[in-house]
Amino acid sequence: MELTNDNTNDATVSHGNAVMKQQIDRSIASYFSSCVHCGTCADACLFYTETRDPRYTPIYKLEPLKKVWKQEYTFFGKLGKALGFSKPLSEDDYAAWEDLVYDSCTLCGRCSMVCPVGIDITYMIRKQREGFSAAGYAPEGLKSAHKRTLDTGSPMGVTWKALKAQIRHVENETGLTIPVDKQGADYLSTLSSLEIMGFPEYISSLAKIFDAAGVSWTLSSESFEATNSGIQIGDSKKAAELVERIVSVATKLGVKNVISPECGHAYTAIRWEGANLIGRPLPFRVLHIVELLDELKRQGRLKTNGKNDARLTFHDPCNLVRKGGVVDQPRQLLNNVASNFVEMNDHGVMNWCCGGGGGVSSNERADELRLVAFKKKKQQLDEIKVDTLVTACANCRNNIEDGLEHYDMDIEVIGLTELIAQYLDTDRP
Amino acid sequence: MTRLSAHAKGLLFAGILLIVSTLSIPVAPYLWLSFSNDTATATETQEQNPRATFWRSVRRGSSGYTAVPGQEAGVVIHGNGLNWREYRVKILAPYGSYLMAGVLIIIAMYYAMRGPINLESGYSGQSITRFSVYQRVIHWFTAILFWLLSLSGLILLYGRYVLIPLLGSKGFAITAAACKEAHNLFGPIFLLALVLLIATFIRDNLYRKGDIDWLKKGGGMFGTHASADKFNFGEKVWFWLVCILGLSVSVSGVLLDFSILGLNRTAMEIAHVIHSAAAIIFISISFGHIYLGTVGTQGTLDGMTKGSVDANWAKHHHDRWVPETGNQEAIQHPLTSNMREAPGD
Amino acid sequence: MTEFIQGPLWTIATTIFLIGVVWRITTIMSCKVSGELSRTRGTAGVGSIKAIFGRFVPRKETISSGRFQMITGYMFHLGLFALLFFAAPHVEFLKQRYLGFGWTPMPRWAFVIAAELAFAGLILLWLRRIMHPVTRLLSTLDDQLASGLTFVAMFTGCLALFESYTQLRVLHLFTVELLLIYFPFSNLMHAFTFIISRGSTGTRAGRRGV
Repeated sequence: MELTNDNTNDATVSHGNAVMKQQIDRSIASYFSSCVHCGTCADACLFYTETRDPRYTPIYKLEPLKKVWKQEYTFFGKLGKALGFSKPLSEDDYAAWEDLVYDSCTLCGRCSMVCPVGIDITYMIRKQREGFSAAGYAPEGLKSAHKRTLDTGSPMGVTWKALKAQIRHVENETGLTIPVDKQGADYLSTLSSLEIMGFPEYISSLAKIFDAAGVSWTLSSESFEATNSGIQIGDSKKAAELVERIVSVATKLGVKNVISPECGHAYTAIRWEGANLIGRPLPFRVLHIVELLDELKRQGRLKTNGKNDARLTFHDPCNLVRKGGVVDQPRQLLNNVASNFVEMNDHGVMNWCCGGGGGVSSNERADELRLVAFKKKKQQLDEIKVDTLVTACANCRNNIEDGLEHYDMDIEVIGLTELIAQYLDTDRP
Repeated sequence: MTRLSAHAKGLLFAGILLIVSTLSIPVAPYLWLSFSNDTATATETQEQNPRATFWRSVRRGSSGYTAVPGQEAGVVIHGNGLNWREYRVKILAPYGSYLMAGVLIIIAMYYAMRGPINLESGYSGQSITRFSVYQRVIHWFTAILFWLLSLSGLILLYGRYVLIPLLGSKGFAITAAACKEAHNLFGPIFLLALVLLIATFIRDNLYRKGDIDWLKKGGGMFGTHASADKFNFGEKVWFWLVCILGLSVSVSGVLLDFSILGLNRTAMEIAHVIHSAAAIIFISISFGHIYLGTVGTQGTLDGMTKGSVDANWAKHHHDRWVPETGNQEAIQHPLTSNMREAPGD
Repeated sequence: MTEFIQGPLWTIATTIFLIGVVWRITTIMSCKVSGELSRTRGTAGVGSIKAIFGRFVPRKETISSGRFQMITGYMFHLGLFALLFFAAPHVEFLKQRYLGFGWTPMPRWAFVIAAELAFAGLILLWLRRIMHPVTRLLSTLDDQLASGLTFVAMFTGCLALFESYTQLRVLHLFTVELLLIYFPFSNLMHAFTFIISRGSTGTRAGRRGV
């Protein structure tokens, strides 16, 4: 399966090696110099803790990139390379590490939080994937999703036609009009395909909340997809293209703010990587929907009435909370609509990944491992015995529902936006 | 007063026994030394010469006035010092070497006659976890320190006989100085290791019903199968010897090491007698432990290196432990035996 | 031989050490910095300082799983730091060779405790490294050489404590020279580069307000 990028015909190991070399920056050089192989990162990774397989130690997943660094930046590495003892990465190296790099890592960032010498392992895995995908080594599921995104705009092949149909349903259900391609709106909302097809209640919730809060917003028919398969597979060139699609329509529509929906990596792609990918600052502000809801609440524009009394907890999407910095807002919002909110023992920036992020849920080959890793989330939930789990990422939601079903656990899963919409105070003074 | 569980009672009893036995070890050599003191005392004779009287009194270790500050500065000659030296040269060194050599010979003879205790049914390929990473780390930590301290200690005791011929006096002086420093520095760490070791392994080394039967059957060392739980009676005895001998050697060692604690010479001599006697006994018995843990019993070393043992080994040597491990695979497939069962089983 | 070890070899070793460390750090600092164009939420500088100092304290969620390494790691590092800079023979050595001035060294009892903590920590850490499946997989020849050379340098220092035999002191100096020569080529460089790695990650985290 070839990648549809400019280097389609260059998906070779030598190309991969060249790309790998380009990834090494000051951070990475300092990281490999500082690693003393203490193994602390292992206990932070759910793939290791639930399998006890030492190969899932996060820093071990970076052996290929480390080999490149050694050969380029260390005395003995350079000497070995010059004398022919040390060979560049081979097909076997890429093949042997592919599943470690893609199946057993969700880029959740928990390992980066605990390293005593401050190594950002997640940052390096993201960079290493650039080399892997350039060499043609990525899971088939992810490659297909990437191709579909580049060709159709959506990793699931969701077209504007399908979204239009969902919009019609929502409008019928809510009696509200969903603005599309509205020039000069304050907020452009992007959507994830998973929300559109799997959780369309997100769209109706948005409509209700924005109507009640008097928010001027719009969708775009030309480019509505928030997700970015490029940052998951490790193809920055195409990732930049996907960001440009959003920048282009935002500019055309003259919006000042772009909303990233309930999706994890979509937020990372546009909020933190977007400007770097396209090489210039974004001409608009980016907010995650949770950030916007929190702002609206503080401004007094979002009012709620009543509270859900189920014993519920919040699953922190890794890209939103730990990697995104949106830590307090979900909690502030939940406390307004829930009377029995219980935190998981490890919560906030140290919550555990659901196991489905970073492209893992698109990778059928990783299904079995993903479900084993879910035992960590199961353990967290067993500890606090809740009836409901709230989260703010459709992929987390999907993956958690999958895991709960697999382990026969009776817990309801709901999105935060959806929950807020249920307790919306629509009475106008 | 809350009722203690059987387990806690066992621990408490073990602790008391440990302390009492450790404290009673000084009694034997102390008694000997007291006896020696009496025989060393010169008989009173009528003496006209005041200088001779003075000398006799000094020779017996009487204390006089001195302007020099410090512990026992007024004692010019410490009479007991000779007795202590006699003990070291005439008792400790020779008998210590007989004991160590004797144990090695017995082991060699046993090996020659019996050979290693192999697994009759061979390895099954199924593993049972025996020791955690932490347990293994603590064991080897203690073992490494024991090795360092034994080696340096034996060099300090026997070096003059064995190493001076090889290295010359000057060479040995350097070696001895180095060994003294190493021995003194690593000694207190051994105490730490020992405390951690005891805390880690005490729970599985309490006496349980059935242990004495293992002993009655010769521990399976002479052909018949002997049932045991996680640790057999022999291993438990070794554990308690480690506790007693180890604590004796460590505590006396710390007293010897830190003169800042202010012990007088007699107390230091007693401490040395305890330290050296306990150490030699400890080293001698350790030969047995090392033999049985390596060459002597096939499959044993895996437990302390890999952390897991073969299921056949477990069923052969520690059959009562296997069901406690919760390892269903091993439990559900009992060994088909071609072992010799002892009559009456 | 003794003169060589105390004289020229010491100069060679310290030169290799200094040049090597500066070279390694320069190589890292001259690598490109991936630019950050996204709007910052927090402060990069604050994040950097927080990480450099904050990572000395493990996160509370990791304390139970990381307890052994935290305790033994600090035993070793703090003990070694105390020995290196506050042991009387070392203070005297630096005073005579380089500085012309010294400072109050540790009392003997503190020195002994520091040495014992350092040794215990090092041996325990090394044992864990070879016993635990994760560190067994990760460990390289570099890790073994670094641990080994450090132990040997400390051990020979301990042997020379009597301070009466030149041979033992020279042996200690020799093993230290080997360690100094090896240092810039190994991951012992973490002693310096940890500031850059923590700072780097902290900068990124600070920008995101984490």
